[in-house]
Amino acid sequence: MKGKLLHTHDLAIGYHNRRLVREAKKHGRRYRGKVVAEKLFLDLVEGELVCLLGPNGSGKSTLMRTLAGVQKPLGGRVSLRGRRLENLSAKETARLLSLVLTDRVMTGNLSVYALVALGRYPYTGWMGNLSPDDEAIVRDAIGTTGTRKFAHHHISDLSDGERQKVMIARALAQDTPVILLDEPTAHLDLPNRIEVVRVLKKLAREQGKSIVMSTHELDLALQAADRIWLMSPIVGKDGEKNIEMISGMPEELVLDGRLEKAFKRNGVGFDRASGSFRIHQHPEGSIGLVGEGMLAYWTKRALERIGYRVVIDASSPFRIEVSDDRGTRCWRYYNGKSSKPVELRDIGGVIDVIKESKKGEAFA
Amino acid sequence: MVLQSGSQAGTDHPWPLLSPKSNLIVLLFAVAVFFFLLDLVLGSVKIPFGSVIDIVLGRGSDNEAWEKIVSYIRVPKALTAVIAGAALSVSGLQMQTLFRNPLAGPSVLGISAGASLGVAMVMLASGAAANAFAIRQLGFGGSWLIVVASTLGAAFVLLIVLSIAVRIKDNIVLLIVGIMVGNITISLISIWQYFSEPEQIQDYLIWTFGSLGGVLGDQLYVLAAVVALGLLISFAASKSLNVMLLGENYARSLGMSTLYVRITVIAATSLLAGSVTGFCGPIGFIGIAVPHLTRSVLNTSDHRFLMPSSCLVGAILMLVCDIIAQMPGSQTTLPINAVTALIGSPVVIWVIMKNRNLKSSFA
Repeated sequence: MKGKLLHTHDLAIGYHNRRLVREAKKHGRRYRGKVVAEKLFLDLVEGELVCLLGPNGSGKSTLMRTLAGVQKPLGGRVSLRGRRLENLSAKETARLLSLVLTDRVMTGNLSVYALVALGRYPYTGWMGNLSPDDEAIVRDAIGTTGTRKFAHHHISDLSDGERQKVMIARALAQDTPVILLDEPTAHLDLPNRIEVVRVLKKLAREQGKSIVMSTHELDLALQAADRIWLMSPIVGKDGEKNIEMISGMPEELVLDGRLEKAFKRNGVGFDRASGSFRIHQHPEGSIGLVGEGMLAYWTKRALERIGYRVVIDASSPFRIEVSDDRGTRCWRYYNGKSSKPVELRDIGGVIDVIKESKKGEAFA
Repeated sequence: MVLQSGSQAGTDHPWPLLSPKSNLIVLLFAVAVFFFLLDLVLGSVKIPFGSVIDIVLGRGSDNEAWEKIVSYIRVPKALTAVIAGAALSVSGLQMQTLFRNPLAGPSVLGISAGASLGVAMVMLASGAAANAFAIRQLGFGGSWLIVVASTLGAAFVLLIVLSIAVRIKDNIVLLIVGIMVGNITISLISIWQYFSEPEQIQDYLIWTFGSLGGVLGDQLYVLAAVVALGLLISFAASKSLNVMLLGENYARSLGMSTLYVRITVIAATSLLAGSVTGFCGPIGFIGIAVPHLTRSVLNTSDHRFLMPSSCLVGAILMLVCDIIAQMPGSQTTLPINAVTALIGSPVVIWVIMKNRNLKSSFA
């Protein structure tokens, strides 16, 4: 059994409001503050990458801040390595848990190397001089995150993706078993997003780091996360808004329908088969598709995009047959009236013909 | 390319050094010594270089007037320039890092105004015993009175600005607040002046022009001791200030107490800017300009190197300004306050234009 590094017991997160608390006390009521989410029982295991999902305003950042000890919990407790967070000193916490925030560090003249070296702050003496060991850890962090190429650059000269990796390197130099990242993939393009997640996976797998990252990207989370914490807004019986925390392995959450349920509640279609969101609705009705392989898949995508529900049905009079004869691609379009198909050579043509025949129907 | 930037890439790059080249600091020191000597040589009275060196080294000179001029006027004045330049620069450097704002500095955020208020309270307070002339007569005790008053005034304004800084996260808003607090302080002084005797106002006005020449004898020791204490606190805060470059949230996540750093910087800046303002008048510009100059010369943001280098650059700039203020060969002296801005502003504009990238010269 791997060790539990981070553990929350009946945690309630939210905001203290001294004035309201005092007022409630005056009237003999119990009031803790503005509760964002409560009854959170979470475990972070060694070597696990956890993705924290949830819509805007669901309290992801609040949870992150509470786990990091930056914000006080409204109730319950957070423990790091079995010790309660509030009993740890700031220095002790800094040796157990590091952060990657959304704050942009744009300081001029601060080189990547110097920035990563600042991660050694909790370990160095009063002047902050690095020992050879410290320096080795800093170099290791830079190497692991693939930032060596621009180690001598100024932080202000880097692209967003490069900067994010540098901030991860800094957290790594802090040498903590737990790393929390607040939306590390926001504002990054796809290759950089993948690169960042790869680095995090590598850290979890090879160095046994426990990592929690908050993100909006379900696709990425489903592929990369060992565990998903999903904060899902629900409206309780008394009409009060609340947050339900769903925690589990991504595949399990998909298979037992909990993920689908959570997203459906929020008005977003979730396709259990492909593990992605449904963008498309089907105002145009259904169309049959015959064929197999990649060609059929992308034809289906194109048809869905223009508003059709695609069914695999060879008997439908309104259908498309796709074939690939040694590189010669062919689409046969049956418009449902004549039994003679129209033969086409590319998807663009297919779409044009379908749209054309629809228009003709409207006039007829 | 981005996808392949893993561990195998870039192994041929040498690891960058954390410290800037030390010979730069040696060079700065040499330049400071050069201008220190130049400041001793140049003045309204022509004294040959050799004689000045002899007098400084304690070998004396046949010309008694020269000896008096050098030991009792020029050496204290040059030392004051070095002390004031170093103190104002280091306080500006800390303010810029603490507020994460390139425009921060003792004069902009109202610290100089606060120090002025403290001095004005002492100088303009009614009653013969407390007027400026009387304070000069008080000698050692009086100089303490001015230092305490100006330091308390500076600390008072800085505390107001910082208590607002706790609530406001936006740097620009904070800067405006600082300027406003400074304005309130200045208007308080104006009101006080309005109800004061003309002689007292004149003394105060002369003080506001700034002067490096008024710090003599015991006063110089007092100034040096207070500034030394301020510099010591500042140097000790170097490591924390480096972490502050990441912003307060990161600083806290690294286990740093931001409150402690704030208090340290308030204390150090009040001592440095407050005492120098008290003795030399409100000298503007140095506090803002020198940190930028130093950063662009050293190309680093490490306060362990920026602190001593800022001291040197500040001392150099102040000595140059003092030499110009003397108008060598003439009998007139310009107010130092006017010269610092006149000489320094174009320098900063030049540095920023040369670097093109404004960010690189910002804190």
